[in-house]
Amino acid sequence: MDNMTGPAIEIRNVVKRFAAHTAVRDLSLVVPRGTVYGLLGPNGAGKTTTIRMILNVIAPDSGTITILGQDSTSDSILDHVGYLPEERGLYRKMKVRSILRFLAELKGMSRKKADPLIDEWLERLSLKTADKDWGTAKVDELSRGMQQKVQFIAALLHDPELVILDEPFSGLDPVNSQALKDTIVELRRRGKTVIFSTHLMDNAERMCDAVCIIANGDKVLDGTLTDVKAENAGRTVAVALDGAPNTEIDRIFADRSLVERVDDSNRFFEVELQPGADSQDLLRAIVGSGARVKRFELVQPSLHQIFLEKVGAKGVEPGMSGHG
Amino acid sequence: MGKLWAVIKREYIERVRTKWFIIATVFGPLMFAALMIVPAWLTLKTKSAADISSTVIIDATSTGIGARVSEAMRGFGGGPERAPEVRVVPPSELTAAESLATAEVMREAKSGYLVLDQQTTAGESARYAGRHASSLTAMETVREAVRSTVLGYRLEAEGVSADRSRELTTGRLAFRTERITDDGRGGSGAVSAFFGLGIAFLLYMSIILYGQNILRGVIEEKTTRVAEVVVSSVRPETLLAGKVLGVGAVGLTQQLVWVATVVTFLTYRVPIFKLFGIPAPPFQIPGVSPVDGLLLLLFFVLGFVFYAALFAAVGAMVNSDQEAQQAAQPVMLMLVAAAIFIQPVTFNPTGGLATAMSWLPFSSPIIMPLRLSIINVPTTELVGSLVVLLLSTLLVVWLAARIYRVGLLMYGKRPTLKELGHWIRYS
Repeated sequence: MDNMTGPAIEIRNVVKRFAAHTAVRDLSLVVPRGTVYGLLGPNGAGKTTTIRMILNVIAPDSGTITILGQDSTSDSILDHVGYLPEERGLYRKMKVRSILRFLAELKGMSRKKADPLIDEWLERLSLKTADKDWGTAKVDELSRGMQQKVQFIAALLHDPELVILDEPFSGLDPVNSQALKDTIVELRRRGKTVIFSTHLMDNAERMCDAVCIIANGDKVLDGTLTDVKAENAGRTVAVALDGAPNTEIDRIFADRSLVERVDDSNRFFEVELQPGADSQDLLRAIVGSGARVKRFELVQPSLHQIFLEKVGAKGVEPGMSGHG
Repeated sequence: MGKLWAVIKREYIERVRTKWFIIATVFGPLMFAALMIVPAWLTLKTKSAADISSTVIIDATSTGIGARVSEAMRGFGGGPERAPEVRVVPPSELTAAESLATAEVMREAKSGYLVLDQQTTAGESARYAGRHASSLTAMETVREAVRSTVLGYRLEAEGVSADRSRELTTGRLAFRTERITDDGRGGSGAVSAFFGLGIAFLLYMSIILYGQNILRGVIEEKTTRVAEVVVSSVRPETLLAGKVLGVGAVGLTQQLVWVATVVTFLTYRVPIFKLFGIPAPPFQIPGVSPVDGLLLLLFFVLGFVFYAALFAAVGAMVNSDQEAQQAAQPVMLMLVAAAIFIQPVTFNPTGGLATAMSWLPFSSPIIMPLRLSIINVPTTELVGSLVVLLLSTLLVVWLAARIYRVGLLMYGKRPTLKELGHWIRYS
């Protein structure tokens, strides 16, 4: 790569319309090199469309996309990108080793270079053990979990600079899920850039250096996780009470001049203050109601909350909250 | 280039390895051999079964030619010693003799009867009635016996000696046909028609079999969603090209095996036929000039690409094999329309229909090779047909690539014609 310091991906004013609707409108974002980057948004937000445009699978109507310093439409750039699509599948009648070899060849690898790496990966993900070599089996004969492992290998075999994972955790069993997390961390340690889309905020919060939230094809916010949290800090208060909450408490939390919204977990509340409201007023009101306060703490909001706040306001389709 | 090669290699190897390919490749020539040997063997069987020696010859001519016809029919069925029985009757008792013979045939005492009367000696007609009336070989033998005997009798009546007339009338006339081309003689006419039919049929079969194979391959990539991984590494156009070329190479491999075994079979047909106790039919392997060979290959390749691209586009438009059957109908219809005209064109390879079908790109890859092997197609027509086919193939590939590019990642409802127009425009 000639440009080692520039961003991994730079998207400028990208628009994609389909016949009936606009999937992505005027999206601009920068993914710094060597980071784990989360592309977050509800279903139908335009994540997969954005990813497909990055990979030049579909062309944007307008705007430019630069990958590792090169235009995304240039011929060989995709050889440095690994991709795990949301909808996953393999040729069912092919042998595992042949399919991995084929996908490696499509990334410009020679068979000679690919073969030892394939074995290495098969062993690493225990698809090849002393008693059984699944590499010689047909894809049809593999369990779903094993097929997922083969798909990881396909995305990572050619040691890409940039790895794009579309909803990588959906449909994974806990063991594979853990293997994937470990792999992402390891890639990051080796200086690779990893982008993944998800609507599972817990995973994103634990793994991402930076995030971008999109909804309805629009960017809602982006930046490093620290910045995003700092910008949205100071307005969330964690409250824990001793004993059952009284009706007075409900009245205080329903006061829209003070509280914007509350995440009520019965004994524990995450309260989001109205912009400009003072947390001390809330504390006074709670103490005044006669409730015993066990904990009252200004906290950084969770990504989950930021997501709900930002995307909720933009009108998520019913039944599609941040968890799903 | 390396990626295209990788796609071609995968398409080729994965198909050549399948059981079906191996079975079809091996059984194709066996079928051909069976088609050659079984009819010959059956004919031989039929000949011995049609025992014309138990025919009754009713001779009402009062010239004695009945005995001579019987002599001429000796040896056909029932061993060399048996000759048909002759009953000489006066013309007035002919009807009664016929009724008696009919009754005999009905209770299977005789196989049939042959009536010779004044009209026979006049060279006009003779009649046969019996069990073998629908056996072509038996009737041909009887007819030949009567014809040569009558001819001999009439020659003698004109004063030619008996020996001389036998000399003149015996001996079958073998009828050979030979085709003359620009380069001189080019093998027998029947053989080249047979060869042409074979080629046309082979092309038709290959396009149908391997076109549908491509269709299913595209649907598999769509339904298993493997397409998305693949097109994140290669352009859809490269994938399409690799698929068409790879599968085309599979078809070509199969044809080469078929042609090679058929040629070997025909070359060694004498010892092979001997194994079955059948005399080998006279057959001349048509010589194909390098130019003709190249033209045949060119028509096959272009025709295959034309249809393969269409089948791939159909595959990209649908989500299941069931849907594909319906969506592929227009393509199949074009192909079947071309195949329907194979027979009329063989009978009249220079007619208006043949010429028209050679210009249309959807039928020329099948009709043109057929005509090429039967007649000498004028160069202008040949070049024109190739140019039209080439241009249409380019157009079809361009359209198919666009449909393929969009359709490969679209799931759900099949596009309407209007939506298809959108796809073509915005990819």
